[in-house]
Amino acid sequence: MGLFTRRKMAEKTKDESYKIQSTTSLDENLEKIKLLLTDCEDVIYKEFRVGVEQNLKFAVIFTDGLVNKEFINDSILADLMYHAREIPPEAPVLKDELFKLVRYGSIPSPEMKEITSLDDAVMAILTGDTVMLIDGTANIIVVGTKGWPARGVSEPSTEGVIRGPREGFTETYRFNSALVRRRIRDPRLKLNQMQIGRRSVTDIGIMYIEDIAQPELVEEVKRRLKTIDIDAILDSGYIEELIEDNPYSIFPTIKATERPDKVAAALFQGKVAILVDNTPFALIVPATFNAFFHAAEDHYIRWIPATILRMIRFIAGTLSLITPALYIAVTSYHPGILPTELVLSIAAARDGVPFPAVIEALILEITFELLREAGVRLPAIIGGVIGIVGGLVIGQAAVEAGIVSPIMVIIVAVTAISSFSIPDYGFSTAFRLFRFLLILASGFLGLYGMVLGLLLMLGHLVRLKSFGTPYLTPFVAFAASDLKDTIVRLPIFMMRDRPVGLAKDKIRMKNNRPEIKQTSGDKEKGKGEENHDKK
Amino acid sequence: MIRNNDHISPYQLAMIIIMTVIGVGVFNLVHIVAKHGGNDGWLIMLALGIVHILLAFLLIKLSCRFPGKTFPEYIQEIIGVIPGKLLVLAISAYIMMNLAYEVREFTEVAKMFLLPRTPTEVIIFALILVCVYVVRGGVESVARIAEITFPILFIPFFLVLIPGLPGLDMTNLLPVGSDLGVKFQRMIPHAPHAFRGIEYILFFIGFMERPQRAFKPVAWGLIFVTFFYVLISIIGLSAFGAKAATKAIWPLLIYIRNINVPGLFLERLDGIILSLWVITVFTTIVTGFFIVTYSLSKVFNTQEQKQFALPLMIFIYYLALQPAGLAELYKWGDWTFKYISSIFMYVIPIAAFAIAALRGLGVKKDEDF
Repeated sequence: MGLFTRRKMAEKTKDESYKIQSTTSLDENLEKIKLLLTDCEDVIYKEFRVGVEQNLKFAVIFTDGLVNKEFINDSILADLMYHAREIPPEAPVLKDELFKLVRYGSIPSPEMKEITSLDDAVMAILTGDTVMLIDGTANIIVVGTKGWPARGVSEPSTEGVIRGPREGFTETYRFNSALVRRRIRDPRLKLNQMQIGRRSVTDIGIMYIEDIAQPELVEEVKRRLKTIDIDAILDSGYIEELIEDNPYSIFPTIKATERPDKVAAALFQGKVAILVDNTPFALIVPATFNAFFHAAEDHYIRWIPATILRMIRFIAGTLSLITPALYIAVTSYHPGILPTELVLSIAAARDGVPFPAVIEALILEITFELLREAGVRLPAIIGGVIGIVGGLVIGQAAVEAGIVSPIMVIIVAVTAISSFSIPDYGFSTAFRLFRFLLILASGFLGLYGMVLGLLLMLGHLVRLKSFGTPYLTPFVAFAASDLKDTIVRLPIFMMRDRPVGLAKDKIRMKNNRPEIKQTSGDKEKGKGEENHDKK
Repeated sequence: MIRNNDHISPYQLAMIIIMTVIGVGVFNLVHIVAKHGGNDGWLIMLALGIVHILLAFLLIKLSCRFPGKTFPEYIQEIIGVIPGKLLVLAISAYIMMNLAYEVREFTEVAKMFLLPRTPTEVIIFALILVCVYVVRGGVESVARIAEITFPILFIPFFLVLIPGLPGLDMTNLLPVGSDLGVKFQRMIPHAPHAFRGIEYILFFIGFMERPQRAFKPVAWGLIFVTFFYVLISIIGLSAFGAKAATKAIWPLLIYIRNINVPGLFLERLDGIILSLWVITVFTTIVTGFFIVTYSLSKVFNTQEQKQFALPLMIFIYYLALQPAGLAELYKWGDWTFKYISSIFMYVIPIAAFAIAALRGLGVKKDEDF
């Protein structure tokens, strides 16, 4: 069997026995690797000789751009090529012990391993590690030399906060796992790694806290990830779509986040996080309807403002769904609901508009969607132009031309602003799309149609599940204690238990707050606090 | 994870009861109560509520004999496979009629107050179509819908009722308790009008992990329903007086229409309440519809129930279009509830219980209560 056939078989069957084994001859190994990496001109082969008599043949192979070249020069090549000459020439001993000497004695690197298969060697080269072949032994040494230009940790651009950490994930998997690990110094925080993608061979990490997360959940995540068979994973979006429960729904059932503190908070609740290489977006499962209304900040600011912000957000969600539909239904079907003066002023504003309210709403909503989409794709410098064109030219001119009524412009503006106050982008998209359905429904059947549309949405939401958790938890599968972190956000010292049904270890804290003595003297007060700190 | 699509919690059971029993009939309730019970209608409602709670306990007892099984499954044990299946088919047909009645009644109300020019067919079709979608989701979806719509429906409803309360004239309720016996007698045949739907628990208890735990939620659910009916009766009777209340078909809606909230930017609330009331009709249909599809899946021994939903929709649609108008609908309705409903609500479950007890079937003692 030829080299490439074997390689394909190994890929297909995942059978170790198909892997090409290395031989003791350096030349042969080198030739085979070169054959496997034909036309990969970014791979660098460096053959050199070691020893006083220069009779020990070595070769290092690595990919240019993926490695830390200084490290290779200083710690691999320099050590072997120069320092090896200082060893007295006891040739026979040296020859037998050569491999061990190099493996354990010569290379000052913490990351080393030995392999015997050329497939693994090729994989190591393409990952950014350096492969070292030694003549006379079939063992191949892999030295960890990964080092490529990477974007540093910066503020997440999609989930900003006013108060709270400003670190966001980057495209480098290892940085990301470290960012989470820094927040959870617990040996029970587990990180299981796997590689997905036949060609891309992307690193995937599954993070969970062992005694908080339900073992069934962890197993299910692993099972779903293992069944993925695809050529490449370019973003966590691929993973999301391949493992989510309801791929045909417009509502996301997996949460994607750029924030390590959000991931840590989710892990502490018993959720499981999936980190993917090459993307700053980590996935959190299970994700519920409720979680998409939460911003990271909610737990960092004081609880009363946080609760009010939550309420505003839920109201905004409702408004972004129903405002245009409600307007259409009331004005064109049930004007009797409104007081007479209001009806008259609406009628006066609509005077001269040639379209029914539905068409009017659709025209403006679609225009707004166009503007939004254009604004996202444009570079920031021209972005301001969109605002001028959209707000002034189209809005003002459309009203003056009598195509739409000014009230409709207000309605669409309120809807747009509301939909932006939903923290999760994918989730607010779902709301935006559903809005169009409601507009049509209320255009046909008035309030009745709107309520039916909302019931359809509810009916859809109750059918959804995210990794076994009903999507509308805790509003359904009712557990009163879980309502503490929904529309309201109770003070942290009241959230003593982790979510019911999600966490295995339910107790979050035993003692809620130190007793704070209301004494007048400053000195005594200080003393009291000190004591409590010691506790 | 584990796709457990066949369990409901006690809390969900209570919600199912409430959302099933309270249907579009509420609008009509005051009319019936006033007609047969006079100014003591609310007292009779209270008494009937208590009677039905006791009846519900009997149904739970029956279900407790067959833990983990639903009515269509154990009735085949009680009276034999073929008669059992025939009976289940009959019940399904009855429930379908019930649903069709519910749909049509709501359509008539909606046509009167919300959509005067929209064809009846469109209103009915749109409503059933949305129901089909939920029914296809299985018992968990049905239970969750009941659970989540409960606060959405009742919180605004009670809020709307509050501003009208000062306008009530409680003297309309006096004298309390005259000729109670006669009134009670006249009201009894119309009890199914208010309480039809409680026999559905025979089906839903089978989905509970421990049927013994059904007593509490069922009791609470029915207490809520009774409280709600009594409240509505008191409001209707005291607002209009027994005589005037019989003149209107839907006294409650007229009452709501006349509520004026000073300072609110809404003038007439009946439109809002009616569009909210879609929800209760919707849940009533969804639970009943689910029972029909589920029963059919047990009759024909299929694994899933969802494939029955869409074809059955056509039947409901057809049945709902049969009455020529509101008068005919109510004439048929009165007759159905007086006779057929009584059979299915009272006679059959009690007979099934008696037979099961006599034959000594199932678990006799409920051990861990």
